Amino acid sequence: MRAILRRELLEWLRTRKALALQVGLALACGLLVLVRWPTGGIGELSGVRSLEVLRVFGYGALAGILLLVPAFPATAIVREKVRGTLTLLLNAPLSGASIYFGKLGGALGFTAILLLMTLPAAGACYGLGGTSVRGGIALLYSVLALAAVQLATLGLFVSSRSQSTNGALRATYALILAVCLLPLLPYWLLHGTSPLIDQATLWVRSLSPVPAVMEVLGQRDVGTRGMTTGAGAVLRYLLLGGVMSVGCAAVTIRRLNRALLDRARPPGVMTQDRPLGQRRWRRLLFVVDPQRRAGSIPSWVNPVMVKEFRCRRFGRSHWMLRLIGVSAILSLGVCCLAAAGVLAWGLEAIGGALVLLQIALLVLFAPSLGAGLISAERESGGWQLLRMTPLSPGSILRGKLLSVALPLVLLLCATVPGYIVMMRLKPSLADQIVRVVATLGLTAVFIVLVSAAAGSLFRSSAAATTASYGVLMANCLLPLLIWLGRGAPFGHRTVETALTMSPVAAALGASATPGFTAYELLPANWWLTGCVSLALLVFIMARTWQLYRPE
Amino acid sequence: MSHGQVVVETKGLTKKYGKLLALDRLTMSVERGQILGFIGPNGAGKTTTIKILVGLARPTAGWARVAGIDCVSEPRSIKRVVGYMPDAFGSYDNMRVSEYLDFFGAAFGIARRERARRIGEVLDLAGAAGFKDLYVETLSHGMQQRVAVARTLMHDPEVLILDEPTNGLDPQARIEMRQLLLDLAVRGKTLLVTSHVLPELAHICNRVAIITRGRLRAFGTLGEVTRQLSPLREMEVLLTGPETIGRVEQVVRQHIEPHAEVRSSPAESVVRFRTARGEEELAGLLAELVAAGVGVAQFREVQTDLEEAFLTVARADEEAADRRAKEPGGRGPRKGAAV
Repeated sequence: MRAILRRELLEWLRTRKALALQVGLALACGLLVLVRWPTGGIGELSGVRSLEVLRVFGYGALAGILLLVPAFPATAIVREKVRGTLTLLLNAPLSGASIYFGKLGGALGFTAILLLMTLPAAGACYGLGGTSVRGGIALLYSVLALAAVQLATLGLFVSSRSQSTNGALRATYALILAVCLLPLLPYWLLHGTSPLIDQATLWVRSLSPVPAVMEVLGQRDVGTRGMTTGAGAVLRYLLLGGVMSVGCAAVTIRRLNRALLDRARPPGVMTQDRPLGQRRWRRLLFVVDPQRRAGSIPSWVNPVMVKEFRCRRFGRSHWMLRLIGVSAILSLGVCCLAAAGVLAWGLEAIGGALVLLQIALLVLFAPSLGAGLISAERESGGWQLLRMTPLSPGSILRGKLLSVALPLVLLLCATVPGYIVMMRLKPSLADQIVRVVATLGLTAVFIVLVSAAAGSLFRSSAAATTASYGVLMANCLLPLLIWLGRGAPFGHRTVETALTMSPVAAALGASATPGFTAYELLPANWWLTGCVSLALLVFIMARTWQLYRPE
Repeated sequence: MSHGQVVVETKGLTKKYGKLLALDRLTMSVERGQILGFIGPNGAGKTTTIKILVGLARPTAGWARVAGIDCVSEPRSIKRVVGYMPDAFGSYDNMRVSEYLDFFGAAFGIARRERARRIGEVLDLAGAAGFKDLYVETLSHGMQQRVAVARTLMHDPEVLILDEPTNGLDPQARIEMRQLLLDLAVRGKTLLVTSHVLPELAHICNRVAIITRGRLRAFGTLGEVTRQLSPLREMEVLLTGPETIGRVEQVVRQHIEPHAEVRSSPAESVVRFRTARGEEELAGLLAELVAAGVGVAQFREVQTDLEEAFLTVARADEEAADRRAKEPGGRGPRKGAAV
């Protein structure tokens, strides 16, 4: 176990990027505290300012853990499988548990180092007053540590079941969305229906680390529509998160043996080769039969785009149809909610929820799709083959970008009916909705380009995905952390400037989400996002050409 | 089969990576329909040469042409005439073999209908027709090699550059692959093949290039190469019994030269010696042995094989590197100009 742990951890710690990340994080946290440090010898005894800094710091750390931690465990096992080194590991006198804990330790070791780098800043918060060690800072670190363990075990679980690094990354981030955000919905939607449902949704909600962090930071009622959630979110999370981590670890360790590689090759029986009865039966079951031989790529379509779709499990026609179906149902649901005015939320609140959902999907999915566009090709050796074809670098890039853009367009279009219903119900919202849709469209373009640009700099898709999320976090979520400190420590002007840089904040502002209405973010954000997107596109084109041209 | 027309040609091809001289004034040519065995130890410069030939790298000096197209100034045109099979397969997830080939066919601009026909053809040629509906990532290494050959043939290139094509294949598949390469040469394709299994190359190649430390050490047919490397021929006299071995040694020494290197093996009833003498003198030696009452079962020249030729070059190269390293201020074995 120690050998694997050392290899996993040292491999990453030896890089200059790791050093830069550690120093950068320590500096950022230090700066955060410095901003709120009392000046002129006057201290603030209530501790409110210290708590504000701790909140910004706490949410930032949680976002960092959610987005950056899972990438490495998600690829840890599948990468060995793809390279063929898993056979060597399984042949060594190492138990499945040793391999597993070595990999888990490697993934968590670096997270622990990063969390340690933030300790001086947390110590300074304690020095400012307003929080305690046991009930405040230590509890926050405990929740963050458990969140890291929960996500790392989840990543390793997915990794043990995946066949490709790219697929593992996408599945892991989808599961993170499911684990961290979806458990919040039942409580939000059903709270107050009956005591039993209240209790059940409260427990479901505690599967996510978000309520626990909110409680530690003294914001347990935020987002609960004024209804108290009651205490105990931390305890419930420690219990549920712990159980989930142990469960994931146990299942993964059980899989980590020779049986993992002892798989029969799929026979490749195609529908066309089956008896007539079976063919008819499958025709009834599937609209697009996944076992049917795919047609040749039409000459007028970019072959790289088709290849990208075919390489993705969810990019296949039958999955695309299923996704369209789910999106349409969701959209209809939103329409119904908007039309019926369920729970008297009001159209603005539904619109805000819709925007938040779309942004969450964009921020979570787009980087896992975009980051691997070039890095995954370089990792698998496919890039050299692409360079050997007469396809121009422009054509390759166009195909790849289209393959990410089209699912995102689909995602955005799925909610259009909901917006249309809102416009019909309240025509005065039309202008606002157009602004929201335009901002979301621009945000999608921006996120794809950021991910693709960051991903093009790396040879491994895991590093590329982590870097993409890192850049996106810095750009989209950091301004939101500054927004959390609005009024104090940050003034209106500072917050507005910061929010202008974030496309996510602009979308929330355009949808008149409470808390964002005070800031004039448009059209300044459109200009900024547009110009940066253009610059990123030029950068990706240059980078693609650089990687494509003869050495 | 040689068709006389030079298809692959390099002149003074040099490639430097910083201070490292990867390729040092490589000059060679291959004619249409020939199979060139490109041999060298790891890091000798084979892949660098191949990368220049397929337009993936630019030489620091010199030029290279494939089918009359300049590899440096027209790297994109080169791709249509060259089929390159690198040592890494380049797998894509969730793709069946037919889809995989369809993608590369589309990338090469082959028309849709033609592509479907071509996929069947190349899979048949590569002996991979049964893999058509299997997922690429689930194939074994040997199966991937066959699919890689099929992929290389998809756009019907004039020149095929294959890096270790028999790597991972079972014995029967190796024989089939050898036959496939010979068939392709008969069809007028020019092949450049690298392999570490030298006897295999010796079976199929009609040209051999041995490269070490970026410099071409030997080039030509196998016979020419062995003659370049060793001017002495190895002769073998197989006797009907071991009794006359002493007598044979004596006659050979008298006839060739007193200090000639003569080795005998009583267990095999064989006497071997190395000589620079011509056919007539050797015929005289045989007549003398027969006249001396020696029972000669066979009198023949032992063909130096490719492995031996390669080892001769590799050893000479190592010795030269050692000598250079021992010289005062001598450079290490990998940096600087080739030996």
